[in-house]
Amino acid sequence: MLEAPFDPVKLAIPFFILAMLLEIGLGRLRLAKAEYEARDTLASLAMGLLRGIPALLTAGLIFAATVWVWEHRIFTVPFDAWWGWVAIFFLDDLIYYVFHRLSHERRFWWASHVNHHSSQHYNLSTALRQTWTGGLAGTWLLWLPLAFMGFSPAQIAIQQGISLVYQFWIHTEAVGRMPAWFEAVFNTPSHHRVHHARNPRYLDRNYAGILIIWDKMFGTFQAELDEEKPRYGLIRNLGSFNILTVAFHEWIAIGRDLASARSLREVVGYLFGRPGWSPDGSRDTSESLRARWAARQAAARTPAE
Amino acid sequence: MPDSCTPQEPAIPIPAFLSQLAVSGVAVLVIVALAAAARLARPNPPLDEAAARARLADDFPEAQIDRVWLAADGAAALARSGSRALYLFRLGDAWVARDLAWSDVASAPVRGGRLHLRLSDVSPRLARPVLAGWSPEAA
Repeated sequence: MLEAPFDPVKLAIPFFILAMLLEIGLGRLRLAKAEYEARDTLASLAMGLLRGIPALLTAGLIFAATVWVWEHRIFTVPFDAWWGWVAIFFLDDLIYYVFHRLSHERRFWWASHVNHHSSQHYNLSTALRQTWTGGLAGTWLLWLPLAFMGFSPAQIAIQQGISLVYQFWIHTEAVGRMPAWFEAVFNTPSHHRVHHARNPRYLDRNYAGILIIWDKMFGTFQAELDEEKPRYGLIRNLGSFNILTVAFHEWIAIGRDLASARSLREVVGYLFGRPGWSPDGSRDTSESLRARWAARQAAARTPAE
Repeated sequence: MPDSCTPQEPAIPIPAFLSQLAVSGVAVLVIVALAAAARLARPNPPLDEAAARARLADDFPEAQIDRVWLAADGAAALARSGSRALYLFRLGDAWVARDLAWSDVASAPVRGGRLHLRLSDVSPRLARPVLAGWSPEAA
């Protein structure tokens, strides 16, 4: 099957709206924690609303590439086979982990993803602060092996949509912690608050989509600690609510760095190094920030002689 | 929740797409209006020196701050930390921090009572605070 018979994201839009209204209402009544700043909310929702326009530029290419690979598949997974849906659930979620980790740990893909982290707030509107340049960044290539294995483009699209819809509800401070068994297996608001935090301890942690098990398997899990409340946003927060700045600031910064590059090594480093990479190491990366934080912690624990 | 770009058939008719966009736009405006009316922004009083130091410590935990100048409206602060200058300014109900060379700050022009600071980031590129008692020589 080529075309998906339904789009989980489109079906979920009324739920998205009602959930935001509920979060705002509960916040207003002080029944749950919800912090909204109007211009921040407008920027987040506008990013989500308008993302369909740049997506049109690459949608044809992504669809055509997926269909072409599927036509050269090695197996055929029937669309109506239950085991196929079980398999694609796990495989898509694993690919999502890889995609998300790449989107944080290499600057070229971070430039596309950074906008999602650019709000200093963490509420349901933040979930909709979507990338405009994801198609151009090419991370959709990571899903082509699914088509090669025999999952149809429709099946891949539906599972990706289910994953996206799942991840909406975890962008909230209104939910504290879920039952322990759920926290152990699934990505939750608590786990994802850590992911959106800029505290050094929390940087580059919890890349999960639906299942948190991947972070636990690959050593990137960090539990939310009561003694360290997450501070949301970027290491260097944006100084603007302008959505063009939100969407393109890191690409512009890459362009500036490339213009100043003096060797191929610097070009490669600026493009594919960790975010914050610089030839002389003078800028901060997540790793350097974590290392300095750990050193401060160790120094604080060591009694003065 | 980064959108990973799904392989969807892109054959949506343009008029239908624009209609969806318009309806969604109205929904966005309603939500933003309700969020504003609900007054859920964080309390964000004007900065005093202690608050400025505390907020700068979040962004620059290793910096030893020598001196702080506060903006007249409490919406910004400039601090000297050795050869570095740390600049803090309000954005909505949150704060944004930048650092730059102190020498650039010391030589920055003052026009109409406003210090004109060139920041290195994409946004903002320029800051123009009115700082109470500003004098780079006194730092």
